[in-house]
Amino acid sequence: MEALGFRDDMADKSAVAAQNSLQLIAFSIGEQTYGVEITTVREIRAWNGATPLPNTREFVRGVINLRGTIVPIFDLRARFGDGPTSPTKNHVVVVMSVGDKWVGILVDAVSDILTVSRDDIHNVPEGNSIDTELLNGIVTHESRMVGLIDLHAVVSGAKMDS
Amino acid sequence: MSDLDDFKATYFDECSELLNELEEQFAAIEAGERDADRLNAVFRAIHSVKGGAGAFGFSALVGFAHAYETLLDYVRDGRIEMSDDVVNLCIRANDIVADHVKAAQTGDALPADYGMEEKDRFDALARGERDDSDDDEGGDPIDDFDIEFVPVMVNLGGYQPAAETSSGVEADDVFDALPMQVEPGHWEIRFTPHRALYARANDPLLLFRELAVLGDMHVRAVLEEIPALVDFEPFAVYCSWEITLVSPSITEAMIREVFEFVDGDCDIAIAQLGNSIAFDIPAPAPAVAKPAPKPAKLTAESDRADLLALADDEVADLLDFSRDSDVAVVPALTAEKPSFTPEPEAPAITVQDTFDEAPSLSFAELAETIAPSPIPKRAASTAVTPLRAPAPAASSDGEESSSGGNRSVGVQSIRVDLDKVDRVVNMVGELVITQSMLTQQMDETLRARYTELVRGLEVLAQTTRGLQDSVMAIRAQPVKTVFSRLPRLVRELATKTGKKIKLETVGENTEIDKTVIEQLSDPLTHMVRNSADHGIESPETRLARGKPEIGTIRLSAEQAGGNILIIVEDDGGGINRERVLQVARDKGVVAPDVNPTDEQIDQLIFAPGFSTASEVSDISGRGVGMDVVLSNIKKIGGSVHVRSWTGKGTRMTLRLPLTLAVLDVMLVKVGVSPYVVPLSSIVETIQCSRASFERVPSGGQVLQVRGEYVQVIDLAQRFEMVSETEPENRFVVLCEAEGSAKVALIVDDIIGQQQVVIKSLEENFERVEGIAGGTILGDGNVALIVDVQSLKTTIVHKNAA
Repeated sequence: MEALGFRDDMADKSAVAAQNSLQLIAFSIGEQTYGVEITTVREIRAWNGATPLPNTREFVRGVINLRGTIVPIFDLRARFGDGPTSPTKNHVVVVMSVGDKWVGILVDAVSDILTVSRDDIHNVPEGNSIDTELLNGIVTHESRMVGLIDLHAVVSGAKMDS
Repeated sequence: MSDLDDFKATYFDECSELLNELEEQFAAIEAGERDADRLNAVFRAIHSVKGGAGAFGFSALVGFAHAYETLLDYVRDGRIEMSDDVVNLCIRANDIVADHVKAAQTGDALPADYGMEEKDRFDALARGERDDSDDDEGGDPIDDFDIEFVPVMVNLGGYQPAAETSSGVEADDVFDALPMQVEPGHWEIRFTPHRALYARANDPLLLFRELAVLGDMHVRAVLEEIPALVDFEPFAVYCSWEITLVSPSITEAMIREVFEFVDGDCDIAIAQLGNSIAFDIPAPAPAVAKPAPKPAKLTAESDRADLLALADDEVADLLDFSRDSDVAVVPALTAEKPSFTPEPEAPAITVQDTFDEAPSLSFAELAETIAPSPIPKRAASTAVTPLRAPAPAASSDGEESSSGGNRSVGVQSIRVDLDKVDRVVNMVGELVITQSMLTQQMDETLRARYTELVRGLEVLAQTTRGLQDSVMAIRAQPVKTVFSRLPRLVRELATKTGKKIKLETVGENTEIDKTVIEQLSDPLTHMVRNSADHGIESPETRLARGKPEIGTIRLSAEQAGGNILIIVEDDGGGINRERVLQVARDKGVVAPDVNPTDEQIDQLIFAPGFSTASEVSDISGRGVGMDVVLSNIKKIGGSVHVRSWTGKGTRMTLRLPLTLAVLDVMLVKVGVSPYVVPLSSIVETIQCSRASFERVPSGGQVLQVRGEYVQVIDLAQRFEMVSETEPENRFVVLCEAEGSAKVALIVDDIIGQQQVVIKSLEENFERVEGIAGGTILGDGNVALIVDVQSLKTTIVHKNAA
C-alpha cells in the first residue's frame, strides 16, 4: 500500500509537471528559431527531394513517400512569405501529425529540444496578421525568441483558389 | 445500443449470404437435383433467417419464415411431394423472405398482407397432404404392418374440414395452430446428449424447460450407463433422458424445434404413442401408453437448484450403490426429493422394459432419420451464426468430430473485416515495391561480388510474388455472389413483360476482387434488364420467327489473362440499328451527314443522354441505363463491348481488371516529374511531330485524329511546369474520358507501362485538381496519377467562365 501511495505521489508530481511545462523541438529558418510541441513530431529526416504537386500554392513543395504513405511537404520559409527555400541535402524535413494527417515541414536545421513552462508563453503581438495567424505564442529561451508554430494554420490554405 | 446494431448488421450480412445460398440451392433444385442435402441446406438457411429475425423482433419476417419453414419441413420428411408447383412456390417465397429482410433492414413497413397469399398456399398444401395421408392410412393396410418408423409420419389424426383452411380466416394462426393437428396424445422422447452438446455450452435443463411449456411433461433420467466411480471419466456423458410429454396440441415438429439448436450433438428419438404404435409393440405397450412412474417430474417452474440437487443426489447414490444399482437409484432419488412423487420400484422397471424392448427398433431407425444428414459445406459455414451456441474453436475431440459429421467444416472459414485484408494488401504492395527497389539497386559489380545476396534477392522476389497472389486470392470472390441475384430479376421481368425467359449461367466460380464484384452488381442488373426488356421478344413473336418460345439470357464469366470477361448474351431480336441511329440523329448524338458503321451504331446505346430519354425505350431502341453501365465499368478500369446480330441476339462483353488494388498505367514525364496515366483510358499515343494540330480562336490547339477534332491539354502548361523538351519530341497521349469524349494530353516523354498500387493523396493532404491520386515507383519516388476526366471538365468550365 505504501508503495502504491508513493507511486500516486509520483504520478501527481509528473502530472503537475506535464501541465506546467512543454517540451519543444526547436528548428531554424535562417536566423530565426521556431518550435513545435515534441509530441506532434513523428520523424525527422534529411531532404531528399519531393514530387511537385500541380495547382497548389508555392509553399507546398510536393509529396514524398514515407514508407508507403504519401505525405505532403510544406516549405515553412515560403509559408512565412520569404520565398521558396532552395533545399540541399543538409535541409531537414520534420514529419508531424496534424489532426489525423501526417505532414512534413521543410526547415533549415533542427537545433534543440527545449523544456519551457507554459506560464512563460507570451502572446503574439498584434500587428501583422501572418504572425498572429501562424504562431500560437512566443517563448524565450536563452534570451532568444522562439515562435510556437500553429500547425493547423500552416497546412491550411494549400490550394490555389483558397 | 451500438452493440445491438452490430449484431443486427451481422445478421443482415448473414441474411444476404443465406438468401444467396437459397437462390443457389433452388437453381439446382429447379434443374432437377432434388436430393435431401439441398433441402436441408434450404431448411437451415430459412431457419437461420427466422432465428435471427426472432431475436431482433422482426415479427412479420418470423411469421412468414415460420410458415415457409413448416412447409419445407413437410417436404423434407416426404409428407409433401417436391412438385414443380411446390418449387415455384418456394422460389416465390424466397423472394418474399428477401423483401421482408430488406424491409426489416431499412425499417420500411411492408403491407400487412404481404406474402399472405403464399402463406395461405403453404397452409393449403400442408392440409391437403394431410388429407391424403389419412386416406392412405385407411386404404392401405400394408402401411400398418410395414411400419418401421412410420408412426411419426402416418399417425396424423385430428381431421379438419378443408373449407376452414381455404377460408383464410385464421391466417394469423398459420404457424401457431399447425395444419396437422394430432389427436391428444402422448409423446415419448428419448434424448441422449453427446459430449459435444455440453462442449457447446448447451444445458439439457433449458431444453426440458422449453419442452415443459408445450405440455405436461415427465422426465426420467437414464442412469444405467453410469459406471463405477473408478471408471468415471469426468468429461464423458453417461446420462440420457426419457421424456413423456402429454399435450393435445403438439406436433413432432414442435418438439423437434426445441431440439433444433442441439441437432447433431445428441440423439433424439421421438415417438407418438397411439393406435398405430400399438401394432408394433407386443406386450408392454399398455405400460408405455400410460407411464405411471414419475421419477423426476420436471415442470416449467422447476428451477436449477432442483436439478443440481438431483445431480448431487445421483452421485451420492452412485457412491453407495455402485454399478449394480440400476433400479435402486430411481427410488433412492425419489425418496430424497420430497417434491417428486415417491413411486414403487416395479413400475419403473416396466417403463424401462418398454423403452428397452418395444420401440427399440423404431428408435434406432428414428435416430437414423433424425440424425443430421450431411449438409453441404457452404451451408455449414453460413449457418454458423452468433445466435447459436459458440462453436468450439477447434474440435480436438475425436468423438465430437465423428458424431458431428460434416458440421465441423463450418469452422474452416472465418469472417474477417475487409479493412484488415486491405491493410495486408497494402503492406504486400509495399513489400513488392521495396523488393523491386532492391533488385534495381543491384548493379553488375555488386552482382559479381555478392552472389549469395543476389540469390537471396531472387528468392525474396519469388516469395513476394507468391505472397501477393495469395493475398489477392483472399479478396477474390466468385462472381456467383453477383450472378445469384439475377435469377430473381429475370423472373420478375418475365412476369412483368409476359415473356418466357430462361437464365443460364456459366463460369460462376470465376473469382474477381471483391471491390470489382461490388461495382459489378449495378451494371449487370442493367444489362440483364435490358436483355429481358428489349432483347427477348414476346413468346408469340418468337414462335412466329421460328425460335423456341422460351428466350434465353446467358451470363458467363471467364478469365482471360489479367482480365475477367463477363458476357451477357441473349437470343432476342438484336439491336434495331435503324431506330437507334434515328434517335441518335434526332438527339444530335450523331451528325446528320455521318454514316456510322453497324458496330459504331451498336456502341451508341452507351451514349450518355441517349438512354435517359423515355421515348427511346418507348420505341424500343435498346439502351435503358446503358450509360450507367459504361461509366461504372470505366470507373473500375474496365471496358464494354457490344455486338448484335439482327434477329439473332445481342452479346455484351465486359472486360474487367482482376483487381483494383493494382492499376495498369503508362508512365510519362511532364517537366521533370513522373506522371502516370491509367492504361484503360488511353486510346493511342502519337509523336507530336506526326500529329496534326490546328489553332482555334482562343489560342488553344485542337488535334485532328481521323477526321475528329480533339481538345488538347498540354500537361506541362496545365500543371505549371517548365517543359525543356523540343516540341516535336513530345508525345500526344490520346485519352478517352467519360462518355467516350476524347482528350489529347501532351507529355514530354513516354517512359513505359507498368503496374502500380494506387495511393490516396487525401489521406494526408487534400484533393488536387487534375490528380486522381499518387503511386510509389520502383525507385521510391512518388508519381501522380492523371485524372483525365477532371482535367477535361475543368477546362470546359474555365472556357465557359
